[in-house]
Amino acid sequence: MNKIFALAGVVIKELYRRKDFYVLFILTALLTFAAGSANFFHDAKIVRYLKDICLLLIWVSALLVAILTAARQIPAEREARTIFPLLAKPVSRAQLIVGKFLGCWLATGLALFVFYLFFAVITGSREQIWPVGVYLEAAWMQWVMLAIVIGMVLLGSIYFAAPSSTTTIAFIVVVGILFVGSHLNTIALQQGEPVQSILAFLYFTIPHLEWYDLRDFVVYDMGMAPVGAVALATLYAAAWTGIFLLLTWLGFRRKNLTT
Amino acid sequence: MTVILQTQKLRVEYRNRDFRQANKVALLGLDLEVRAGEVFGFLGPNGAGKTTTMNVLLGFIPPTSGSASLFGIDVRQPIARQRIGYLPELTYYYKFLTAEELLRFYAKIFGLSRSETDRRIADLLKLVELEHASKRPIKSYSKGMQQRVGIAQSLINNPDLLILDEPTSGLDPLGRMKVREIIQRLKDEGKTVFFSSHELGEVEAICDHVAIVHQGELKAMGTVAEISAGHPNLEQAFLKVVGYQNAAAS
Amino acid sequence: MKVSPWILLAGLLALAFTLATKLAATADNWSGRSKPENVFEMLLGDGRRLFANESFTMADVYFHSGYYPSMFDQNAKEQREIIAASHGHKETEEEEKKEDFFGQPHDWIDAFGRNFRITRHTHLAAHQEREILPWLRLAADLDPQKIETYTVGAYFMREHLGRPNEAEAFLREGLRHNPGNSEILFELGRIYRENRHDLNRARNVWEYGVKSYLSLSPDLQKENKLVYEELVMNLARLEDEAGNYAAAIKWFEKGKVVSPAPDAIQKQIDDIEKKLAGAKPVAAPK
Ligand SMILES: Nc1ncnc2c1ncn2[C@@H]1O[C@H](COP(=O)(O)OP(=O)(O)O)[C@@H](O)[C@H]1O
Ligand SMILES: [Mg+2]
Repeated sequence: MNKIFALAGVVIKELYRRKDFYVLFILTALLTFAAGSANFFHDAKIVRYLKDICLLLIWVSALLVAILTAARQIPAEREARTIFPLLAKPVSRAQLIVGKFLGCWLATGLALFVFYLFFAVITGSREQIWPVGVYLEAAWMQWVMLAIVIGMVLLGSIYFAAPSSTTTIAFIVVVGILFVGSHLNTIALQQGEPVQSILAFLYFTIPHLEWYDLRDFVVYDMGMAPVGAVALATLYAAAWTGIFLLLTWLGFRRKNLTT
Repeated sequence: MTVILQTQKLRVEYRNRDFRQANKVALLGLDLEVRAGEVFGFLGPNGAGKTTTMNVLLGFIPPTSGSASLFGIDVRQPIARQRIGYLPELTYYYKFLTAEELLRFYAKIFGLSRSETDRRIADLLKLVELEHASKRPIKSYSKGMQQRVGIAQSLINNPDLLILDEPTSGLDPLGRMKVREIIQRLKDEGKTVFFSSHELGEVEAICDHVAIVHQGELKAMGTVAEISAGHPNLEQAFLKVVGYQNAAAS
Repeated sequence: MKVSPWILLAGLLALAFTLATKLAATADNWSGRSKPENVFEMLLGDGRRLFANESFTMADVYFHSGYYPSMFDQNAKEQREIIAASHGHKETEEEEKKEDFFGQPHDWIDAFGRNFRITRHTHLAAHQEREILPWLRLAADLDPQKIETYTVGAYFMREHLGRPNEAEAFLREGLRHNPGNSEILFELGRIYRENRHDLNRARNVWEYGVKSYLSLSPDLQKENKLVYEELVMNLARLEDEAGNYAAAIKWFEKGKVVSPAPDAIQKQIDDIEKKLAGAKPVAAPK
């Protein structure tokens, strides 16, 4: 376990020593401030659009942080050959994968924490309300979803040598699921065969990332989503993350690292 | 004396991505034995299969057939690498870490205690003369300094067996000198050193045992004296073994 | 000769800036179109109109606090009735039920997913209705020719948010982009009449609206019959209230022609005529 944490620590250090995160955060903050300074009919109490925009930016940024970080881990180790001195130590490839996963996930969590803190301060200063539970739940669900995404990206990263291909594909897949994941069966009904069966199959087999988007609950002050459902969704995410990590390990464990 | 590094009928084929071409056979049935306390020179011209052998020993590539073990443990088990140190032919280290952080990270992988870690890091930074730069990110290091970080990391666990892949190639004379000193010191401490090289003068100076591989096959193995018997020096013996006729004739 | 790249760079920048100041004045004439109204027009050109509809829909989404059919929800499209276009919601229980576009869950994925969606049909409380305004503002910026934006926005600001001044300014903005539009004029007249109780200005605006309607082509007139009817009827009631019974009758007569219920109007005319007969001294027209 210590080995896994040591591996994760390196990933986290990398995140906060690279510029990506700061750029994303500053961009998010700037855009939010710009949106916040807009004047709509001299009404200073309007706040939901601001929450909406800020959360959207947070979703995009966190997704970028997670995907970009995860996609480059293993390829960068191989590219820079740092994987050789590392694996020459008593650490298994499974531990390497789990350590990388944990690092990416914790690093993303750190980023999420900063983002949501910013969000809470911005909206709190406007609305004077602090629904901490709602924020925590929304952030938790997002973080849990990002675990699936990170697992998926790690799997991709052992098959696609270039992190840019992994990143692009992952982004398309994740955004695709978020947008149409829950509608695939409805869309399927309007299609002919074989598209119908394919879509219906996908509907039942893809990880349903769209569940984890609780932005509407936050934006529209709807209170918390049922906690029991959140717990179940967490379990579901853990299962999918496990599936992806297992697949990653199966692909990686016998991989010849010199090619 | 106990055998601590062993390969048996080790065969490695690199699978070719292009199906029409045959697989590249890098090792065809290599039998090696390194005993405790030896400084073992692993010799061979470029492309002989030295790095490949080390890659198998370290578990980077699975053998096509045959087996390899360290301290009697199959190399596929991570624990086989608990007591070894390894210096790759070329590497870069995590550029965003400092030398000290890098060593601390590797120490954690070995499960060293905190006080042990602190002591080792201090010793090693002194040994490779990087104390002054230990708090700077590695990306600011020169090539030579990076190589010295490499040496330091290979020694972090106070290994009983050191595997060095052409440790002196690409170093300036001073650097070579330094590496030779370190190998000598480890030998004095009773450690085993297994290193590849094609710098024969150097090998002659510090090795007691050598093996010569050529095109994936073991051509000779024994003490330096045994191998160079009947030749003016190790270099001539080497050239003869790898089939360089002219030299052998002279 | 060796030139420092920095000097070269500085020279080129200076050149570029000088040219820019010289050319900016004439650049507008090149493209042959007027100066862009705002950043959206500059960035999106005419494509911005597409986004205007989206933005208008978002106002509706906000009005329902996120309870809204996506473009994939079947049959939902027909039920997508724009909020505010209906000028305030008076949905009955039944209608509310009909709007349950989710229906029964199709499968466990759908059923479970509903935990994380807003599944309650609600409307914003009166004081929260301001939240839809940014989308209307955006819609107006994206497509200044979209009349609904102004009328809906003004309706909420006037009726629910108690901000007739902003409503008036928004309508005037709409008029600037759509001179003489009778729908906007109608809304504007309501501000004068209902909020400011200024019958004269209301009358002027509405009469201008009628005039502007009558100058439309027959096709457009047919399309906008409803607003004409509203204008005429409101004018009639206004005159009635002002005591100008003759004028009121004149407007009611016009309303009768277009109204689907001419009998009811006739009854109103009769009532006024009774009043005329009863109270001889006619109130002097204001
Ligand atoms: N990843 C690889 N794919 C295919 N062939 C390889 C690969 N690595 C090494 N080889 C081949 O295997 C042989 C042995 O290489 P190597 O072990 O690197 O030699 P050495 O280290 O002794 O110079 C060479 O012929 C080399 O071309
Ligand atoms: Mg080599």
